[in-house]
Amino acid sequence: MRNILLALAVLTFASCEKEIEIDLNSTDPKVVIEGNITNNPGPHYVRISKTVNFSETNNYPPVTGALVIITDNTGVTDTLTEATPGMYRTNKIIGTPGNTYTLTVSSEGKDYRAVSTMPQLVSLDSVRFNIFSGPLGGNGDAYTVIPVFTDPSVFGNSYRFIQTVNGEEDKSYIVFNDNVNNGSVNQRPIFSPDAEINTGDTVSIEMRCIDNIAYTYFYTLSQIAGGGPGGGTTPSNPPNNITGNYALGLFTAYTSQKRTEVVK
Amino acid sequence: MMNKLFPLLAVGLILNTAQAQTKFTLNGTVKDKKTGETLIGVAVYVKEISGTGTSSNEYGFYSLTLPQGKYHVISNYVGYKADTVVVNLTANTKLDRSLSENTSQLKEVVVSNKRKDDNLRKTEIGVEKLDIKEIEKIPIIFGEKDILKTIQLLPGVKSAGEGNSGFFVRGGSADQNLILLDEAPVYNASHLLGFFSTFNSDALKDVSIIKGNSPAQYGGRLSSVLDVKMKEGNNQGYNVTGGLGLISSRLSVEGPIQKDKSSFIVSGRRTYADVFLKATDDFKDNSLYFYDLNAKANYRINEKNRIYASGYFGRDVLGFGDNFGIDWGNTTATVRWNSIISPKLFSNTSFIYSNYDYNIKINSGGTDFNINSQIKDWNLKQEFQFFPNAKNSWRFGFNSIHHNITPSRFEGDNITAEEKESRYSLENAVFANNTMKLSNRFTLDYGLRFSFYTILGGDKYNIYDKGKLTDSVVLASGDFGKTYYNLEPRMQFSYLLNDVSSIKGGYARNTQHLHLLSNSTSSTPTDQWIGNSYNIKPEISDQMSIGYFRNFSDNRFQFSVEGYYKHMQNQVDYKDGADINSAPDIERELLYGIGRAYGVELLLKKTEGKFTGWVGYTLSRTERKIDGINNNEWYAARQDRTHDLSVVGMYQLTKRWSLSGLFVYNTGNAVTFPSGKYNVGGNTTYYYTERNGYRMPAYHRFDIGATYTKPHKKRFESSWNFSVYNVYGRENAYTITFEDHPDDPTRTRAIQTSLFRWVPSITYNFKF
Repeated sequence: MRNILLALAVLTFASCEKEIEIDLNSTDPKVVIEGNITNNPGPHYVRISKTVNFSETNNYPPVTGALVIITDNTGVTDTLTEATPGMYRTNKIIGTPGNTYTLTVSSEGKDYRAVSTMPQLVSLDSVRFNIFSGPLGGNGDAYTVIPVFTDPSVFGNSYRFIQTVNGEEDKSYIVFNDNVNNGSVNQRPIFSPDAEINTGDTVSIEMRCIDNIAYTYFYTLSQIAGGGPGGGTTPSNPPNNITGNYALGLFTAYTSQKRTEVVK
Repeated sequence: MMNKLFPLLAVGLILNTAQAQTKFTLNGTVKDKKTGETLIGVAVYVKEISGTGTSSNEYGFYSLTLPQGKYHVISNYVGYKADTVVVNLTANTKLDRSLSENTSQLKEVVVSNKRKDDNLRKTEIGVEKLDIKEIEKIPIIFGEKDILKTIQLLPGVKSAGEGNSGFFVRGGSADQNLILLDEAPVYNASHLLGFFSTFNSDALKDVSIIKGNSPAQYGGRLSSVLDVKMKEGNNQGYNVTGGLGLISSRLSVEGPIQKDKSSFIVSGRRTYADVFLKATDDFKDNSLYFYDLNAKANYRINEKNRIYASGYFGRDVLGFGDNFGIDWGNTTATVRWNSIISPKLFSNTSFIYSNYDYNIKINSGGTDFNINSQIKDWNLKQEFQFFPNAKNSWRFGFNSIHHNITPSRFEGDNITAEEKESRYSLENAVFANNTMKLSNRFTLDYGLRFSFYTILGGDKYNIYDKGKLTDSVVLASGDFGKTYYNLEPRMQFSYLLNDVSSIKGGYARNTQHLHLLSNSTSSTPTDQWIGNSYNIKPEISDQMSIGYFRNFSDNRFQFSVEGYYKHMQNQVDYKDGADINSAPDIERELLYGIGRAYGVELLLKKTEGKFTGWVGYTLSRTERKIDGINNNEWYAARQDRTHDLSVVGMYQLTKRWSLSGLFVYNTGNAVTFPSGKYNVGGNTTYYYTERNGYRMPAYHRFDIGATYTKPHKKRFESSWNFSVYNVYGRENAYTITFEDHPDDPTRTRAIQTSLFRWVPSITYNFKF
């Protein structure tokens, strides 16, 4: 909402953009742990890296030689193998909806722990395209995607969508939960400021059923992405599920489904 | 409560008046001769006794009690000819005065100041009044004269952003300003995302801002009171006033319903940007406009009783085709009854309605749903003003507001969401305030406000401890829930050092029972109000101020320096990652803490002559400490701006032409920028360290304006106003965002967006 309003403000009044130099502080590198378990066949990966200063290039130093273990509530313990520097690969653990996974990482004398439960799969039945003349005008009729699925009647489901248009992945963070419309068929379209969908485009939608902490994590990122200082939410590091020592990133177990269609 | 307090006050009042000498009371109303509008703040005094005098109240009423005798009674108001009348006071006497405007060519360039050295004598500290006529001369973006943008040029008042009508007073947030339009609180005083205020200057009579040291009759917000009063309407003859601008047009009609007895004014404004939008292909299906309607009527029942009815209705509409629309706006209505109960006792009873709501409509795949929120008040205010003798005046009364707040909620055909009920509450206050001239040099003003806020039944209230639900209270409709009681002492004084200088000081405690939740760095129409609850406690502020006032060159120059320190308790903020729209209970997403603000404000004004204007400078600091933000340590609030400078000048070049210029400079807002970056899921993600640890670039700009007044043709007056905003085209940063470099994926960059450079405007104003 806010993004739309801000976009409108900027658009309505003469505005100009330029690249500027800002002297940003340096900071000690922080550990970043990003781990995923899905219901798709493995292997699954945990990536451990470090932050760099804003002015540096986007080369994030990998954290090598860490001991990375994922266990589940059925008693499976999987010690991950470092496939490439900083990239740790599962060997046997299987992602099953309803199971709870615990990640432990020991690295450079510090321990980290994170827990995530894979939600039950909610079926993505179809995708619909809806004509939408967006706030940014657009040329002619643009479309938004409505993922069609029926939210389970039990409260507390969260979803993340990844939209790809003509092979190009939309970088926007799109998350839904059932605070609204619990237990009914979804009607909400995917609003994305970054993607324009027209007739003839090939659109694929990946729907992930995620747990609540993952929802908060991506929701926070979506809010920050909005406007930045001056227009949007005051930015903050998204709350995550990593405990023990301070680390950025997220460990999440989710189900994944994908549908691809051409807009007609 | 009132029953108990009233006898107590009455005893005090009687003691006050028990004096032996035969005294009589002179009372009446002071008006403008030409329009019949009552005049506020006219100095009424007698030549025979120096240091004795009063000033007309907000309804033009004055009361002055003097020993029996013969007096020259002088009524003095800047911009008007002084009026002297000889009165032989041998009984209580009703004396209404009508003042004529001073028609010399300088009349319109006098900066508001009722009596020349009133600024020294009045106890009020941190109070500024705006002259509506003066506002017209100051260049304003888009040529829309706007009181909210003009008050931002005063020290201690800061703009919420480029071209924004939102403002911050002495470190307070935007919701800590009590904005009153004919006593009705206005919950969102901005149009079009803050670029315009809801106040149409054509309909306004008087504007004053009190920066925290408010007398006891005001309450409910921590930082300031912006008291806006609408015109009553000319009761002598008909007038049409209007203006054509680039963005909007205005038209006002006023006149008598019954000459001398009753009058009306209706004033409207509408933007027409949407007309241009419709002309473009890209925007033809979109709508974007706002409008305002002010109306007021008054009727004099008899010499002693008068009734006013006034209302405001404004709405913003934004729409994109059939899919998306948002509209929001305020409605206020006030009915007031003035009664002169005795020559010494004036009563005003007000019955007030205010409403603010927004509604977002979304149509998706043939299904409609909407998100809406509303705040609706019914408000009863009774105030007595008692003038026992020439050295004393009292104000006392009560105020009771019934709030109905509907939190932000989803509704629609096929929508099921956890039901969010409207919440009801009762905000009450009893107050008494006394202004006492202890000597010719020393004036003391003190008062007490007792506020109590009760949660009314009809909803379930959850109690959280650090975001975890620990208990809940279900209040049935008709039940009374928790009540918060607060005593708010207020005190201020002025001490005249000599004829040209004084010192003043004050202390005030204010409490605030309604809180605006905003997760954004700028205000939007969808920010929602929430009342006290079992988690949210009343916000409390304690402010101390001290000031030195000095006039030079026969009061032509006025200089003041004021210092303040303010401590704030129970400040509310969202936690990181708060789900603001759809959370089942928004209270789970909140954090609490304290705040402090301190600073020095300097103001030098030139109030008379061909050249007038002022220089205002503020040096200040504003911080917050919220449990759960910035590792629980102090951080600079967003509105913390170390330096803030405004220079305003107006020059009457010839009889027809006047020029104006305006320069502002301020330190950039405190903002949160990334200190590092990392990668999550293929996206560059930023790492933040301290909250608001960075600064936006300093903001400055220079605006110029010129007004040409055409020679009058019979009754027809007109003028052209030309202005250029940001003359030297400074690219002031509106936002700074961080992104991957589009041409070089190995790099990130910072992008600054600037809004307005060289914005010229032309406005044509007329009156007949």
